[in-house]
Amino acid sequence: MMIPVRCFTCGKVVSEHYEEFQARAQAGDEDPQKVLDDLGVNRHCCRRMMVSHADLVDVVSPYQ
Amino acid sequence: MTTEFDVEFIERTDRNARFLVRGLTPAFANGIRRAMVADVPTLSIDTVRFVENSSVMFDEMIALRLGLIPLTTPLDDFELGDTVTVALDVEGPATAYSGDIVTSEPGVEVADKNIPIIKLNSGQRLEFEADAVLDRGKDHAKHQGGVAVGYRHLQKVEVDGDLGEFDDEEPQILRGVIETEDGELIASSEFDHDLTKLYPGKELSVTDVPGAFVFHVETDGSFSVEELVDRAAETIGDRADELKNAVAV
Ligand SMILES: [Zn+2]
Repeated sequence: MMIPVRCFTCGKVVSEHYEEFQARAQAGDEDPQKVLDDLGVNRHCCRRMMVSHADLVDVVSPYQ
Repeated sequence: MTTEFDVEFIERTDRNARFLVRGLTPAFANGIRRAMVADVPTLSIDTVRFVENSSVMFDEMIALRLGLIPLTTPLDDFELGDTVTVALDVEGPATAYSGDIVTSEPGVEVADKNIPIIKLNSGQRLEFEADAVLDRGKDHAKHQGGVAVGYRHLQKVEVDGDLGEFDDEEPQILRGVIETEDGELIASSEFDHDLTKLYPGKELSVTDVPGAFVFHVETDGSFSVEELVDRAAETIGDRADELKNAVAV
């Protein structure tokens, strides 16, 4: 639903950078690899948290 | 202690450091590592009293997310089990961020302010009051101040001679920190983790340096790296004292 606050594996706070990653790499046209390097998300465990996340809040938000 | 520790920093920022320690035994290096992960306490939200939660997430899910938000922890001012009250009130349409959390202690604040807690549509509201408690990583992973704390042996690279004229030069991949023959310390990221880029056309031998460990320490923002390492060493000292007293009685 929302991006997990921390990386499941190492515990780094990844959600801090998610919105910027989303804006620059997924909505924008920057190279995701470079954006993640730039954000300091270096380990592959943390990178997969960002790359593989599907934000579904907007899909479920009409129902409550 | 008969051995003297010798510490050298290779990389150092507030939350991230890489440093070499000489004169350690593997057991003691691991003891420090484990103390950093499990014994140094941090503040973390533990009990949440919801006033209103009309978001699409259940109370429990929000409470879980809140627990994982790092809070700055002035360790001198708190004892294990002490609590700090925090609160949040956000009305949609907006996203509730960790930065919206207000705390009752001036020294305690959210370490990362841009963590989205929950996205709220119009008409939805999140309001709660919560207690952050000081506890250790042993009891819950949310209290771990150290993130991905680890160490490797320091590796010494020696040049044995030149490669033969017709020998294939294969990449020699290596990670961590190396010590050259002149005693210079180089992080492997500086030569793209491939030794042949640093020593083209040379025959090399790589050996672990006994008693020399390169620690990589990262914190979640609760405190600085120095504080984490200091406190970890202190907990080991405290436990040794406890044992000493117990034996003396
Ligand atoms: Zn990670």
